[in-house]
Amino acid sequence: MKKSILAISLVSVLCSGVASANVHMNGFASIKGGMSTASDKSLYGYTNEWDFKNESLFAIQVRSDLGDRLSVTAQLMGRGSNDFDARFEWAFLTYELSDTMRINAGRLRTPFYRFSDFMDVGFAYDWLRVPQGVYGLGFNNLEGLSLYRTTQLGEFDSTLQLLLGSFSGNISLAGNPARADINNIAGVTWELERGWWSVRTAYLSGKVSIDAPGLAPLFSGLTQAGVPDLVSALDFNDDQSQFIGLGITMDQGEWVLISEYNRINVKNSFFAKRENYYLSVGYRFDSITPFVSFEREDHRSKSDIYQPYTPLLPAQLLQPVIAVVESQSVDTKTWNAGLRYDFHPAAAFKIQYSNEKNTLTDNRSDLVAVGVDIVF
Amino acid sequence: MNFRCIPALVAVLALNASVLADALVIVVHPTNAIELTTDDVSRLYLGRARTFPNGESAVPINLAEGMPAREIFDQRALSRSSAQLKAYWSKLVFTGKGTPPQEADSHEEVLKLVATNPSIIGYVPASAADERVRVVLQLD
Repeated sequence: MKKSILAISLVSVLCSGVASANVHMNGFASIKGGMSTASDKSLYGYTNEWDFKNESLFAIQVRSDLGDRLSVTAQLMGRGSNDFDARFEWAFLTYELSDTMRINAGRLRTPFYRFSDFMDVGFAYDWLRVPQGVYGLGFNNLEGLSLYRTTQLGEFDSTLQLLLGSFSGNISLAGNPARADINNIAGVTWELERGWWSVRTAYLSGKVSIDAPGLAPLFSGLTQAGVPDLVSALDFNDDQSQFIGLGITMDQGEWVLISEYNRINVKNSFFAKRENYYLSVGYRFDSITPFVSFEREDHRSKSDIYQPYTPLLPAQLLQPVIAVVESQSVDTKTWNAGLRYDFHPAAAFKIQYSNEKNTLTDNRSDLVAVGVDIVF
Repeated sequence: MNFRCIPALVAVLALNASVLADALVIVVHPTNAIELTTDDVSRLYLGRARTFPNGESAVPINLAEGMPAREIFDQRALSRSSAQLKAYWSKLVFTGKGTPPQEADSHEEVLKLVATNPSIIGYVPASAADERVRVVLQLD
């Protein structure tokens, strides 16, 4: 991660007005390719034709120390899935209140998971991708404030993060493109580390509003049919949400064990009650780390929303309501096996096979992917 | 192979062997009276502590990647391979939580830096340490 001559000269051109600033430039990249082995199935955006774009990405980070404990960091990332159009994934100011406390303000990563902060930096972990069953919520960033406090509690290293912010962006809801706003996001994460062990807990809450034009005709039909209560039980209108996450890591030097569990709910909406977890075990043979992992997604649709209305509603309204609510139901089990090979001090080769079983449809899909993760 | 290379090669091999067999010493400014454990050193070099145990500010200096003493230090003080450390720092660097210690390209550079600033802490092979610095800890 040494500053290259090129980076220094580039930055000094860009920042020629800030002669005293101490500028660090780093970057990371992943080139990944994969294909599913079955002709009619797809997984994680891959089909049965080799695709080298879907999960590839490039990122450049510039951090400038402005002195007096203030610094500014921006990370520009281009994802293959978005045609490598670069956008700011992170952009924030850091103010160090003390040696153990800092505030970040700006566009930040939402700290749902153990690997949220560096989920795009493939070099930082052994898998080819973070477990999608657990990490697949679909929105990763927020605009706001975060306070970090790192302390030693007896034998433990403690990292406490408090968070305030909001999110707005485009998502997909029951197959419909939608605009989502999550306001009043408040969260706390706490990580304790000692020796081989690390334990992390996360709690986040926020008020969710989602505007899906594709669902608007259904909701207005229901309102006209005289069941506004059903509409408010279905739609996302400033509805309280909560996320609870638990994670545990054991890194003994050779054996690496990682597990995370989370539970998500959005009250008064058709968002299913979600429970997800994974367990991963790896073993380091010097520069080669093979691993296996198991992921489980269990999203229980809220059928009790529409059940009281089944005798009341005409079929042309009831059927789409049932379809929307039940579309949220997910029950999958995924096995992964793969390895990381550190063939270069700043680059790792990865290969991973994933096999997902969808219990609801009794479908299996699988995927083989290879890639190289680089930091510079 | 060219004959003239052999003495140079032998010298390089001997040097490497002496470094590998040699203990590493953690060094600070002669006026810095601090006592440190391996754990304290590890915390400073992993960015988990930014002050000496007495609260005075501490600035760790690393040797450049690939230098034999660096690899020994990574193993003995930090109990991690170079690749694991690279992964560790990439987690901090790309999340704005920290930057790895500055690197020096030679033992002499470490000694010079330590000799000029009471906050700086470094490490060199035991045979390289001299009166410009104080040895706080030996890593065997």
